[in-house]
Amino acid sequence: MIKKTTLERRKERYLFVVLFIILIFLSNLGTPWIEESNMMPNYFIALIISCILNKNSFLNLYKLLIIGLIVDLFVGQLLGQYGLIFINIYLAYFICHKILIIKAAIQLLALNIFLTVYSFLILWATSLSYGLVIPFNLLLIQFILTIIASLIFTVLMKRFTKN
Amino acid sequence: MAKINSRDLRLFNRNVFPLIPFVVLFFLCLVLMATDYRKQILKKIKKEAFVISSPITYLINLPVKIFRDSKDNFITKKILQEKIINLEQTNYELSIKAQENKLLASENKLLRNSLKIYKDFNMLGVHAEIILPTVKNGHSVITINRGLKNNIEAGSAVINNRGLVGQIINISKSYSEIRPITSESYAVPAIIDNGKENVILFGNGNGELEIPLFPASSSIKINDNFVTSGTDNLYPKGIYIGRVTEIKTTNSPKFNSIIVTPFSQPTTFSQITVLDIKK
Repeated sequence: MIKKTTLERRKERYLFVVLFIILIFLSNLGTPWIEESNMMPNYFIALIISCILNKNSFLNLYKLLIIGLIVDLFVGQLLGQYGLIFINIYLAYFICHKILIIKAAIQLLALNIFLTVYSFLILWATSLSYGLVIPFNLLLIQFILTIIASLIFTVLMKRFTKN
Repeated sequence: MAKINSRDLRLFNRNVFPLIPFVVLFFLCLVLMATDYRKQILKKIKKEAFVISSPITYLINLPVKIFRDSKDNFITKKILQEKIINLEQTNYELSIKAQENKLLASENKLLRNSLKIYKDFNMLGVHAEIILPTVKNGHSVITINRGLKNNIEAGSAVINNRGLVGQIINISKSYSEIRPITSESYAVPAIIDNGKENVILFGNGNGELEIPLFPASSSIKINDNFVTSGTDNLYPKGIYIGRVTEIKTTNSPKFNSIIVTPFSQPTTFSQITVLDIKK
């Protein structure tokens, strides 16, 4: 087990808060080259997955729920939707680490992809849009962009939190 | 530098999973979602917060909006400039044709004077706009925004810049209804624009006109243009009606069925003129 120093924990917290605020702005921003809103990546899922993979020490189940409730106020369709998604991401991560040994970068990437797919499935299952008529191409683009965002956040966290 | 201690990271501890808190929070989320679905709590919160969030959203999107508006502005400007050039060209060509028409009209007048053929083409027209092309009791009808108060009379011919449109059938104070030339109960005397073949064109209800039985030995061919012949004293002579698009055989080898596509369709224009012919 690894304990992070106070400085590292503080840096993680600050970075998380800054990224969270930036993502609130980004999720409200209509980018000029993306005309279809279904193609926008899901930034918050990407952020939480990268935090969990990075083993951010300040996160726990209760904080994940509260962060989920705050995210619901901005982008959620139902109160509790993103809270449910985030605690399930943690569950899936725990089970994967229980069953598998994940050390290499490619394994972490595979885990990242799996967690993203799992969170999207929960998002669609709890969505208020009963007819899932979004074209597959758009879903694929959204999925790929979310993974790319998650990788970017992971790199940022590693860069800014190491001593 | 990182130190080894399991206490602070117990939730990432592979050995112990916080099952009870997870189950409690899981059901709490489900209850929250169900409650929100019934009572629309999130909607109400977002509605209250709209006053704060909408200016922020506007400011966030302002650079993108400026970029899009500038892009549209430049593209629209280019399109409008091209359109102006095309319109100037068309205007120039039309002004040349207008000169030719003036010459033809004066020649026509001279010839009429010398041959002692007198006909008054003094047509006055009321300009109107189409409100609604529609279908009434199975017949297509065009409604315009002029009526009795604009001195429109029942039976008046209606034309536009492309040709014959129809005939006024109903009038109220401010509106009138036109039966289009393609209507089933419509007929108009016509002549090919080369002056041969006097015929009567009938509307077939399918957006076209037809001559049901026309002698197969005639010289009519595809792309011949029909104009009004003026023999009924209702429609002035020379108004374009349509173009021959099909010549069909009939049961009798001596006759063909001629299909004429009108030059003006009710869904492709909005301005018309109701003629008031002074005899």
